[in-house]
Amino acid sequence: MSSLLEVRGLAKRFGSVRALDGVDLDVAEGSLTGLIGPNGAGKSTAFACIAGAEKPSAGSVRFRGREIAGTAYHRVAALGIGRTYQLVQTFADMTVLEAVTTGALLRRARLRDAIAHAQEILAFVGLAEKRYRLGRALTVADKKRLEVARALATEPTLLLLDEVMAGLTPAECGAAVELLRRILARGVTVLMVEHVMEVLMPIAEHVVVIAAGKTIFSGTAAGAVRDAGVIEAYLGSPLEHGEIAGHAP
Amino acid sequence: MDTFAQLLVGGLLTGLVFALVAVGLTLVYGVMDVVNFAHGEFLMLSMYAALGLALIGIGPLLGLPLVAIALFLFGIVVYRVFIRRLLAGPSEATVFGTFGLLVLLQGAAQATLTSDFQSVPNPPLQGTIHLGPIALSQATLVEGIGALVLTASLFAFVEYTETGRAMRALAEDRVAATLMGIDVQRVNGLAFGIGAACVGAAGSLLMLSYPVYPTAGAPFALTAFVVVALGGFGSIQGALVGALLVGLLEVFGGFYLAPELKMVPVYVAYLAVVLLRPQGLLGRR
Amino acid sequence: MTARPHLYALGAIVVLGLLAAFGVRDAVVLDLVFTLLLYAVLGQSWNWISGYAGNISFGHAIFFGCGAYASALCVTHGLTPWLAIPAGALAAAALALVTGFPTLGLRGHYFSIATIAVAALVETFARTTPWLGKANGFELPIASGWAALQFPQKGPYVVLALALFAAVQLATIALERSRLGYYLRALRANHAAAASVGIDERRCKLIAFAWSATMASAAGVLYAQYTLFIDPPSTLALAISIDIALIGVVGGIGTLWGPAAGALVYVVLAKAVALRFGGAGKGYDLVIYGAIICLIAALRPYGIVGTIVDAIRRRRGSIAVGPGAAAETPA
Repeated sequence: MSSLLEVRGLAKRFGSVRALDGVDLDVAEGSLTGLIGPNGAGKSTAFACIAGAEKPSAGSVRFRGREIAGTAYHRVAALGIGRTYQLVQTFADMTVLEAVTTGALLRRARLRDAIAHAQEILAFVGLAEKRYRLGRALTVADKKRLEVARALATEPTLLLLDEVMAGLTPAECGAAVELLRRILARGVTVLMVEHVMEVLMPIAEHVVVIAAGKTIFSGTAAGAVRDAGVIEAYLGSPLEHGEIAGHAP
Repeated sequence: MDTFAQLLVGGLLTGLVFALVAVGLTLVYGVMDVVNFAHGEFLMLSMYAALGLALIGIGPLLGLPLVAIALFLFGIVVYRVFIRRLLAGPSEATVFGTFGLLVLLQGAAQATLTSDFQSVPNPPLQGTIHLGPIALSQATLVEGIGALVLTASLFAFVEYTETGRAMRALAEDRVAATLMGIDVQRVNGLAFGIGAACVGAAGSLLMLSYPVYPTAGAPFALTAFVVVALGGFGSIQGALVGALLVGLLEVFGGFYLAPELKMVPVYVAYLAVVLLRPQGLLGRR
Repeated sequence: MTARPHLYALGAIVVLGLLAAFGVRDAVVLDLVFTLLLYAVLGQSWNWISGYAGNISFGHAIFFGCGAYASALCVTHGLTPWLAIPAGALAAAALALVTGFPTLGLRGHYFSIATIAVAALVETFARTTPWLGKANGFELPIASGWAALQFPQKGPYVVLALALFAAVQLATIALERSRLGYYLRALRANHAAAASVGIDERRCKLIAFAWSATMASAAGVLYAQYTLFIDPPSTLALAISIDIALIGVVGGIGTLWGPAAGALVYVVLAKAVALRFGGAGKGYDLVIYGAIICLIAALRPYGIVGTIVDAIRRRRGSIAVGPGAAAETPA
C-alpha cells in the first residue's frame, strides 16, 4: 500500500539545539496514524515541519509522492494538509461560522458557497448551534472542535491533529473519538499527536514513537507498549503497561 | 586614495553617532517588542535640555549625566502612564500610539520653542585633528568615542547585572519570565527609562556639532530604525554593526551620488535586508 | 451581517450631498463638504491597509501625491486630466508594491518604518526633480468643463467627491463580504492560524495595499483639479500623512464608517484650531492631534465606531449566550 505521507531523516535545529534529529514516518492513505513520544520528544516540531510552519534543517517530506519540505506554510495547506494546534489558535474576533467560512474559502471563491460548506462542516462536527458565538467565548473542548472544523473546511487529504484530546473530560474525549471515526469515514487520512496512548490504542492502526528527536519505533500500538526501547524512552526504566498508557503524573 | 580614506573614516564616525541614537531603541524593542516611533523626539528633547544647560553655563559634556538622568525619569513616566496601556491593546495601538507621541512632542516643541535652529554658544572641541591625510573634527571624534563607551556599557549592563538578566529573560520568553517571578512592569519601565537615558546621552553629545530644532530628531530616528533593522531588532551588538554600515552607506552615497540623495542607498539597503534576511544581520529569528 | 443598513445610510448621504451640491450657494459650506468627503476617502484608503490589514502606514500622503502630481503633469503637458486617474493609480500601486513586497509578510513595524522611509525618499525626489516642479510645485492652467475636469463653481466638485466617496464605501462594503476581507480579518486575528488554512499573508496584504494606494491617488487627482495648485508641502509632506492617520485612528481602524466619522471630527477640529490659534504651522494643531492619537491608542484603540460596534456586540452577545438566541441572519 502506498504512503500518502513519507517522512525521511527529518531534522530541525534551533541554534545549537537539535529539536529533531532523524524522524522517519509513513502515513498510509485512509489510515489513522498515531505519533507519540515523551514530553519534549519533538512531536510538535515534527508537525510544524510537515505542515510548513517551520523549515526543516534536513530530510525529506513527501506528500502524495511530491517533495514538500521547505514549501511555504500557506502552500502546504493548499496542497491538502490541514492542521490543528496543540495550544488552540482561534480567530478570536470572528464568530464560529466566520472562522470556518475562512477555511472553506480556500477551495471556494464565492462567499455564499463557502458559508454553505461551513454550515455543513459545523453540523458535521456538532457546532452548528454555536455558529454565531465569538471564537474567544467558547469552552476549550469547543475551541478544539472549532479548529478541527476550520481545518476540515479546507478539504484536506491529510489532517494533522495536535493533542486534540488534551485537557478534555472523559465524556468529551469519547465524543472526540467518535468524531475522529466519522472524519476517517469521510475519507480523510489522519496523523495525530497524542500524549495519552490509551486514547490511540483502539483507533490507530499504526503508531510511530519518537524520543529525543528520533524515530525509535514504528508498528502497531500493541507492539509499542511491549517494546523495550519505547518503555525506556518514556520512563527511563521498564514499567507496567498501565503506567505508560495512563496520564503522566 | 586619500579621498577614500577620508570617506571611510568619516563614514565610520558618522556610523558611531548613529549607534549612539540606535542602542536605546533596540534595547526597548528587545525587552517589550515596542518600536518607539517617538524615539527621535526623545532625542530632540534631550538636545534642547543640553542646550538649556549650556545657556546657564553647563556645557554639553558636563551636562550629559544630568540630561541622561532627566531622560531616564521622563522615560519611566512615559512608560507608566502611556506605553503600559498601549501594551494591553491590539498590536497596532503600540505603533500608532507612539506615533501620536511623536506628533505631540514635535508640536509642543514648535509651539513653545519656535522652529528656529539653535546651537550651543561657543561649543568646546571645535578643532580638527590631522592623521596623515585624514582630517577629523574633534567633536565628531568625541561623539564616536562616546558611542563606543555607551554601547559597551549598555552591553555589559544587559549581560552582567541582575536587572540586565531579567531584561534578557523577558526578551527570551515573556511567559516563562513571569512564571520565574520577574516583575514585568518594573523591568519594562526600567528598560524604557534606560533606553531614554541613552537618548539623553546621545542628545548631549550631538549638541557638540548639530543644531537643534523641533524636528531635529526625526532624521536621526529614521536612520536609527534602519540601523536597528539592519543589525537585528533587539540586538545591541547588531545596532553597532548596523550603524557603522549605515554611516558608510550615507557618507559614500552622499559623495558619489548627490548630497540630497545620500539616504537613497540607506533605504534601499533597508528594503533589501528586510526582504532577504528579515531577522537582520546579527539578529536571531 | 446584512449590507442593507449600510447601503441605506450611504444612499442618505448621497442624497444629502446632492442637495448640498445643487441647493447650496455658499462657497464656504461647499468647500467644507468637499473637504469632508475628500478626507473621508483618504481615511478609508488608509483604513484598507492600516485598519483591515492591520499594517499602520505613516506615509500615506505619497499616494495622494501620486494622483495630484499625475493630474498636474497631464494638464501641464496638454493631456486630459482624466488620464491622471489611471496614471496616478499605476504610480501609486507601484510605490505600494515597492514598500509592501519586502515588508508585508513580516511583523508590523517593518512595514511602518518602510512607509516613513519611502515617503521621505519620494518627497526628496519631488523637491529636487525639475520635471516634478521641484519645491515650487505646479500651478494648473485654468480651463472649464467636464473634459478639463475643472468648474467655475464648487457644486460639480462636490458631486465628483460624492461619487468617489460612494465608490470607496461600496468597495469597502464589498471587501467586508469578500474572500479578501475574511482573509485580512483572519490574518489580523492570528497570522499563523491563517497560514494553516492556506492564506498567503503577503499576497492578501499587497492587494489591499494596492487598492488603498489607488483610492488615495484618485483623491489626489480630484484635489489637484480643485485647488489648481500643488507642491510638496500640500500633497506629500509628513503633515498630510499625519492628518490621514489621525482620521483613520479617530474614527476606528477596521470599521466601515470609521473614516467618515474621523473626517468629520478632523474637519471640525481643524477649523476650531485655525480659529483659536490662527492656522497651522505654529505647532498647536500638532499638539492637539498628537494628544488625540495618544488618547485613542491608550484608551479606545478601535476609535469612535469601534467603540460603538463593541457596545452593540456586547449587548447582543449577552443575549446570544442562550442556545439559538443569536439573530438568525446569514451574511
